[in-house]
Amino acid sequence: MNRSYYWLILALSIPAFLWLVPTIWMVSLSFQPNDVLARTTSSTALGLIPIPFTPDNYIALFRFGQVPMWFLNSLIVSLGMTLAVLAVSTTAGYALARLEFPLKGPIIVLCLMGLMVPEQAVFIPLYTMFADWGWHNSHHALILPRVAVPIGVFLMMQFFKAIPKDIEEAARIDGVGWLQIFWYVMLPLARPAMMTLAILTFLYAWNDYLWPLVSAQQREFFTITLGLASIQSNFAQAEGLGRVMASGVIASLPVVVLFLIFQRYVVRAMTAGGTKG
Amino acid sequence: MPRDQGARLALTQRQAAAILLLPFLAVYGVFLVYPFFKGVWISLHDWNLMAVAFNPDAKTYVGLRNYERVMWGQNITWGALANPGFQIVGFLGVVASYLLYRTGRAARVTALAMGIAGLLLFVLPGFHPGEGGRWFDRRFWPTVGNTILFVGLAVPGVTITAMLLAAALDGETRAKAVLRTLFFLSQVLSVTVVTLIWQIMFSPRQGLIANLTTLFGGSPIVWLTAEGFAMAAIVIATIWWSLGIAMILFLAGLQDISRDLYEAGALDNATGAKAFWYITLPNLKRTITVVVVLQIILHFQVFGQAHLMTGGGPNDTTQVLVRYIYQTAFRDSELGRASAMAVFLFVIMGAFSILQFVLGREKDE
Repeated sequence: MNRSYYWLILALSIPAFLWLVPTIWMVSLSFQPNDVLARTTSSTALGLIPIPFTPDNYIALFRFGQVPMWFLNSLIVSLGMTLAVLAVSTTAGYALARLEFPLKGPIIVLCLMGLMVPEQAVFIPLYTMFADWGWHNSHHALILPRVAVPIGVFLMMQFFKAIPKDIEEAARIDGVGWLQIFWYVMLPLARPAMMTLAILTFLYAWNDYLWPLVSAQQREFFTITLGLASIQSNFAQAEGLGRVMASGVIASLPVVVLFLIFQRYVVRAMTAGGTKG
Repeated sequence: MPRDQGARLALTQRQAAAILLLPFLAVYGVFLVYPFFKGVWISLHDWNLMAVAFNPDAKTYVGLRNYERVMWGQNITWGALANPGFQIVGFLGVVASYLLYRTGRAARVTALAMGIAGLLLFVLPGFHPGEGGRWFDRRFWPTVGNTILFVGLAVPGVTITAMLLAAALDGETRAKAVLRTLFFLSQVLSVTVVTLIWQIMFSPRQGLIANLTTLFGGSPIVWLTAEGFAMAAIVIATIWWSLGIAMILFLAGLQDISRDLYEAGALDNATGAKAFWYITLPNLKRTITVVVVLQIILHFQVFGQAHLMTGGGPNDTTQVLVRYIYQTAFRDSELGRASAMAVFLFVIMGAFSILQFVLGREKDE
């Protein structure tokens, strides 16, 4: 560690702080009274320090308004999607990686092709299908389309392929069935990969905007991401800037906490999702 | 295998595979494969959302008419300099890809992809209505142009910033890890939080940027409703949002560069910026290509930033393809035309996905 190293860190701290400024500003505004914000957003240190301070925006958020309900919807949809994706991806991934059966090659190719189809290319037909079935404005309508995206299957398939075969063969010789091997031997080994996939799915579900915008038209079924979009267009007049910013903080809290706790998995998940899907 | 053991293996391998595969294949078939083909099917019809919702027979088969109504017009002619901005960039792209390939500075796939992209950029903008002619849909191609412009600004912005940051922050120390976390943090936010923050950042009355300008005696810019500035604003917000993944990919790429190269370089006095230019950059070529292709796919699908920050305005200068598809389908109820545009989007995305797949394969070999 020489002097040039400390200069480098110091020099990089400035852009890093600037990078954080928008986020700090959101948090700071959320703790300032709305009547002050209506006059000026730069009370103390350009508004980056919340003085005058008030927690009222958060209290109001949980007393009135729909933010708690949207938050709950987001939790249900994100957890539901995560569980469903884990279930279909681990099973299919294991079968494609370790079992022999007819048409295996064509099935893999068919699934690979699904990676090429962007959400925007199927959201119109999905809308008409769900409308025909009367499925819109429900939690499962927000969950199911993403469960069909094959990225998870490929992540799990690659993981299972890398596990040595002899573990499985030993179990086979002892007469253990395939499903038991999957459940008792392979799944426990796959925990890190499942964790990565779970975080990838949860982040996607929590932050998804286009499909909820199309499918959820009643405010009771908005996710927090969608609800936040619906209140930001008229932020200054209706609810007060501070309250809208507080909603933004609440909407970000789960993903930011998830990121800070499981940073390594998040980074791995986002790069895996980014480079392969 | 002894008989008693065979009896205990109740399921054959095929049966087990069928049971394990079925849940995914069912969901995949119903919610991805079928909708994809149904989308193509809708694009061949005159299909009004409201009319068909009330009466399923209210659609008429029109063949490729929707594609014609979206992409073509009356008296369309072609000129080499009809749209010089895009065409000159395209032409230079073709020349550059040829030179890069001939001098061995780029791999064949990279050069080919660049060449095709350049050729398209040269040929497509050359079409324009001749005398007395007009486009059937005068907003479609400008929208595609805006999308390409957005990609053309956001991708180099993200790539260059991320690469420099990764080079500076590569290392095991605690301080560097903390700085990496800070730069990555905005990546996990949702698009609606990002637009919420930046909408108010750019606000001429309450925005932090306006507050700064007035502090130094300037007059605030009306970012989101001024032509030219609006596109810059959504690009800035996008770079802030999506720098993280690119930085992580570059950090991974840097791990693959051998330390010996830098030690050898240090003997020749190549340190700091020199080492970056002569050692890091040439060895990152593959990662750069991967990051660029990934970002193109990601940013071509831009929707939320334009939808929430600028509403496509002012004067349609930030109208982008996905937002136009969304509006055509759900505001104008024109599902047929919207689906034709969605197929167009799929073709472009598909080409880049194949390129991405080929690049991924190259690495495995």
